[in-house]
Amino acid sequence: MSTTFLPCGVYHENYKQDHAWWQTKFIKSKMFLLFITLFFIIPWLSDSYSLSICNQIGYTILGALGVQLLIGFCGQVTLGHAAFLAVGAYVSTLLTLEFPWPAVFVDLGLAYPLSILIAAITAGLWCVIFGLPSARVKGFYLILTSMAAQFITVDFIITQYISQIGGRGQAFSLPLGTIKVGPWVIDSDIKIYYMMIVLTIICVVGVVNLLRSRVGRAWVAIRDNDISAEVMGIDIIKYKLLAFFVAGFIGGIAGAVWISNLAAISPEHFPWFWSLWLVGVILIGGVGSIHGTIFGSIFMVIVMEALQMAVIPLADSYPKLLIDFLFIKEAAFGLAICVFLIFEPNGLAYRWWQAKNYFNLWPFSY
Amino acid sequence: MELFFMTLTTGIMVGGIYALVALGWVLIYKCSGVLNLAMGELTLIGAYVSLSFYSMGVPFLLALLISLVIGFILGILTERIFLDRLIGEPVLTVIMVTVGLSFFFKGIVELIWSTDTKVFDPPVFSIEPVRLGPIIVGQIYLWSFLAAIVLLIVFVCFFKYTRWGLAMQATADDEMAALSIGISARFVYAAAWAIAFMAAGVGGTLLGNINGLNISVGYLGLLVLPAVVLGGLNSVPGAIVGGIAIGIMQNFCGAYLDQYFPGGVKEIAPFAFMAVFLLFKPHGLWGWERIERV
Repeated sequence: MSTTFLPCGVYHENYKQDHAWWQTKFIKSKMFLLFITLFFIIPWLSDSYSLSICNQIGYTILGALGVQLLIGFCGQVTLGHAAFLAVGAYVSTLLTLEFPWPAVFVDLGLAYPLSILIAAITAGLWCVIFGLPSARVKGFYLILTSMAAQFITVDFIITQYISQIGGRGQAFSLPLGTIKVGPWVIDSDIKIYYMMIVLTIICVVGVVNLLRSRVGRAWVAIRDNDISAEVMGIDIIKYKLLAFFVAGFIGGIAGAVWISNLAAISPEHFPWFWSLWLVGVILIGGVGSIHGTIFGSIFMVIVMEALQMAVIPLADSYPKLLIDFLFIKEAAFGLAICVFLIFEPNGLAYRWWQAKNYFNLWPFSY
Repeated sequence: MELFFMTLTTGIMVGGIYALVALGWVLIYKCSGVLNLAMGELTLIGAYVSLSFYSMGVPFLLALLISLVIGFILGILTERIFLDRLIGEPVLTVIMVTVGLSFFFKGIVELIWSTDTKVFDPPVFSIEPVRLGPIIVGQIYLWSFLAAIVLLIVFVCFFKYTRWGLAMQATADDEMAALSIGISARFVYAAAWAIAFMAAGVGGTLLGNINGLNISVGYLGLLVLPAVVLGGLNSVPGAIVGGIAIGIMQNFCGAYLDQYFPGGVKEIAPFAFMAVFLLFKPHGLWGWERIERV
């Protein structure tokens, strides 16, 4: 997607203006409004249920951001990203529950934030291991390797070995109040919401800035044509692995943050379905666009919640529907992917871009 | 040593079924260039259809035949509704449409038949084992293997000697040339999907006979991916060899490695093997190596 046009009559006079994040006063005030909405209006207006939906959206955005980076900007298709979310979640859980932290760390509430960082790095390195084949293969073969990542990590290592730590065999339970960030004990939706929103904003801003840099341009070059990129002097193996690392890193953060929302963590939270779900989110939102990641996440989470809402009143007359809801969800998700890819291949972000340009260029749109 | 031979035989026989499903996969890829990730769900649909008819009292062979017919119709419909519009789209788009299809089919199958394990009742094949010299084999495995082999031969003959099969071979070889001599490419694509659906249906029915039928049979359908990667994506003999090799490897891992790594080695081994194999021979044993130009 190309750049957005500026409104009529706006010109830049120096490079600093041209490179600015928010280029006009109007955009600045818009962003300020968005900030106010995110931090004050949404928590003020919403109850616990809608906040939990917001948290789901945040989690989906964080998870899909890494997938977007790999597929949309570096061209390395991955169908196993839930594995890296799982690695992040499990490392963070194990560190918080089992690691003998010095008392000072626990008292100051540093254990969990530190565990997020370590989890993110571990997930990033794990992702690099499964990114190594990208040096030799690409396209469909890489997809198969990433599927192997999912099956090996979640279905084998985590289910069979990691879950055995502590002798419980199935799930790690996270009692309320275990997770502490600084002076705050994360025990309610609103606290999770604030933590989620801060981390999401940090990650999104970080990735967008990375994409504006030399690294980001190298990734886009690799996506567009890896052979030409190599000819131009880009070390494609290095940059591909870097992309895998960053994607795994963000995935690790997503997983580690999500455990604050769960009472117990088990391999069933990270099925293959979830990997495909994340890819579906970016396809519906728009491949190769950060906006797309966010729109896709909001759209998919809300549509699925709406579907559930629609099913509940029907359940009085057809009680079987409630049990089968999971299957309806699966079928609807599959159909949504197909319909979007066939009829709206550029995703929601493209429509957003069109609408924005229409208003920016109005009334002289030629 | 006896364990070795038993594992080998079982592996070959299960591998025959994988080979059948893998053949369907390769067919779609060769004819229309679609990398199909919905193969597992195709096996599910065929298997459940034949199981439903069988439990209604229809004789097994007839039930299988009905599932073939329904698979044929569904294959043509799928191709016409979803994949026909995607000719010439990027590879990722087409792959993801098949992923979407796989979810769609899976959801529908679960809605109709629920997730409980179902068995063919009364059992189609008797449970008396057969002795081949010193080796003891379950009758189910033997019959499944024979059925798979017969069908493989039928498919190969279809490609070699019938008009439709030759048309499909021509399209797979060179689409432009095939179009110029009057072969309808759209017809060939539809036929490829129909045949893949039919092959997967038979494969699923046979697999369902071995262990009972539930959603995890769809996972066995995913095992065709290691098989086709091993054989090379666009090679029919490769698919057959790959399917049998994966079957053998899976059973050996189950028999010998399970004591060292308890749990799901049997399910994971093909994928782990595939990830390593891709590092050394990304085009498989007999796949075409594409030379890329900028």
